[in-house]
Amino acid sequence: MKRDLVGWGIFLAVVAAVPWTFVGSDRYLMFLANVMLMFMVMALSWDVVARTGQLSLAHGAFFGLGAYSVAIAFKLWALPPLAGLVVAAIVGGVIALVLGLVTLRLRGIYFAIATLAFAEVWRTVALQVPDLSGGTVGIAMPPLFGGDRIASYYVIGGIFVISLGLSLAVRWSRWNYAVTAVRANETVARVMGLDVVRVKVGMFAASATCAALAGAFYMPFITHTDPFDAFDIGRSVSSLVFPIFGGLYSSAGPVIGTLVMRSLEEYLRVTPPWKDGYQVIYGLVIVVAVLFLPRGMLGLAQRYAGRLPWRFSR
Amino acid sequence: MEALPQVLLFGILRSGLYALTALGLAISLGVIGVVNFAHGEFVMLGAYIGFWLYMLLSGPLDLGPAVSPLVILIGIPLSGIALYLVATGIYRLTLRPVLRQPELNQMLLTFGLSILVVNATSITLTPQAKDANLDWRFDVMDLGFASVTFARLAVFAVCIALVLVTYLLLQRSRLGKQMRAVAQNRLGAQLVGIHVDRVYEIAFGMSAALAAAAGVMLVFQTQVSPFLGLSTLLKAFSIVVLAGLGNLTGVLWASLLLGLAEQLVSQYVPGGSALRDGLFFVIIFVVLLARPGGLRR
Repeated sequence: MKRDLVGWGIFLAVVAAVPWTFVGSDRYLMFLANVMLMFMVMALSWDVVARTGQLSLAHGAFFGLGAYSVAIAFKLWALPPLAGLVVAAIVGGVIALVLGLVTLRLRGIYFAIATLAFAEVWRTVALQVPDLSGGTVGIAMPPLFGGDRIASYYVIGGIFVISLGLSLAVRWSRWNYAVTAVRANETVARVMGLDVVRVKVGMFAASATCAALAGAFYMPFITHTDPFDAFDIGRSVSSLVFPIFGGLYSSAGPVIGTLVMRSLEEYLRVTPPWKDGYQVIYGLVIVVAVLFLPRGMLGLAQRYAGRLPWRFSR
Repeated sequence: MEALPQVLLFGILRSGLYALTALGLAISLGVIGVVNFAHGEFVMLGAYIGFWLYMLLSGPLDLGPAVSPLVILIGIPLSGIALYLVATGIYRLTLRPVLRQPELNQMLLTFGLSILVVNATSITLTPQAKDANLDWRFDVMDLGFASVTFARLAVFAVCIALVLVTYLLLQRSRLGKQMRAVAQNRLGAQLVGIHVDRVYEIAFGMSAALAAAAGVMLVFQTQVSPFLGLSTLLKAFSIVVLAGLGNLTGVLWASLLLGLAEQLVSQYVPGGSALRDGLFFVIIFVVLLARPGGLRR
C-alpha cells in the first residue's frame, strides 16, 4: 500500500504538471486534458459499483443530472458554478440513494434493468419541464473562469482526486473485504453478518455523487447542454468500457483505460467509416474483455509482470 | 378528445407487438437466466429484413396488393430463421462460455453485444431512419363504436397469433415442456435427462426468432432505424418485470396493461403523448417498490 501511495503521488504530480508543459499552450490539447480527467472520474466511480458485482447503466444519467442541477441553480438563483457543484453532488447522491434503496434489495438483474430505464427516462422528464430545463433548445450558462481551460483543469482535477480517493479508500479499507464478499457471493456475505444492502447502496450513492460532480463540471465547461446531450446513453457506455478495458476492480485500470480508449475515440469519431458508429469498438472491447481478458490491460500486464524488473502496483 | 371505446381499442392493439417482443425476452430470461440486453437489436435486425423484403417486393418486383401479405408470409419465417441462426451462433461463441461466470459478466456481455450490433448497423446501413411508406398504412376500417387502421389491426392479429402459437408450443410440445422444466429447475431438469445446454441454445434462438418476427411487423407501423432497439427493449423489460421474471403467461396480461396504460395516459393526461414514453420506467419502479415478484405471484 505504501508503494502504491508513492506511485499515485507521482501520478498526481504529473497530472498537476500537465498544464505547465506544451499541453498548456494548446487550447485543443487542454480541452482534451479536461475531458480526459472528466471521464476518469466517470470510469473510477463506475468501477466502485462494479466491485459490488452490480451493473450500473445509469452513470450517464447522474452525469446529466449533475449538469442540469448546476445550470438550473444558476438560472434560478444565479448560483456560481463552484457552489453549483455542491448542489449537484447532493442531487446526485440523494436520487441514487432512493433508486438504490428500491432496486438493490433485489437480485442484480433488477438493478441493471432499473438503471437502464432510469437512464432513458430523464430525457423525457427534461423535455416535459421546458420552463426549468429549457426543453429541446437546452440550457446555457457562462463559461467557467471565462473559458480559462487551465483553471477549469484544476477544478476537474479536484473532482478527480475525490473519486480517486473514493476508489483507493474502498480498496485499502475494510470496505474492500465487504465489497469483495458481496461480489463473490451475496448469500455467504449476508450469512457472515454483512449488511449487503447497505454496502451496495452506499457504494452506489457515493459513486453516483462523483458522476454528478463530473456532469456539474461539464455544464459550465461546455456552457450549453440539452436533454439529448446531457442524458446521452453513450456516456454511460464510456463509463463502463473504460474501466473494463483498463482492468476492473482496480484504481489504475479505469485511469489507464480512459487514457487509451478516450484517445482512440478522439481519432475514431472524426474518421469516416467509424464516424457514425465509433462505439462499435466499445462493444467489441466489452465482448472480448468479458470472454478473454476479465481484468483488462492491467490483468494482461500482470500476467507477464514476473518477467519485469519492477513490481506492479494496482 | 377521442371516445373511450376508441382509446381502449387502440390500447389493446398496441399491446400485440409488445407481447411478441416481451415473450422472446421472457423466454431467454426465464429459461437461460440471462438478461439479454441485445434483445432489442434482434428486433431491429428483423425489422431491416422486413424492410428490405418490402422494398424488394414493391420496388423491382412490383407485386402490387400482394406485397404486404407476402412480407408477412415470407418475412416472418425468413427473418425468424436468419435470427435463429445468428442467435445460436452468438450463444455458442459468447454466451455459453460465460454462463458459469458472475451475473455481472453475463450482463456486460449482452450489453456489449447490443452496442456492437447497433453501431455496426449504423456504420454499414447509415444511421438514418428508413420508412417503408406503406400505401395502405392509413386506410381506416370503421367498426361502428370505433375506427382503426388496417395496419394496426394486421400487426396486432399476426403478433397475437404468434404469441399464442408459442404458448401452445411451450405447453404441448416435448421441447416446450423441456424448456419449462429447465426454467423451473435447472438441476432437476438435468437429472431427468434433459440436455440443458441444447435447450438453452434453442431457447435463445427461439427468443431471437420471435424478436425478428416482431421486427418484421414493426415495418407496418413505424420507421426502421439502427437505434430502435433500446426503446423496444425498455418496454419489453417493463412488461417482463410486471409479469414477474420468468413468468411466460403473465407476459400477455402485462403487455395489455402497458398498452392500455400508454394509450390512456396519452389521451387523458395533459402533455400525455410525451409522458407515455416514460411510462415504462414508472411501471418498473413501482413494481420493484411494491411487488418485486411481479403482479401475479
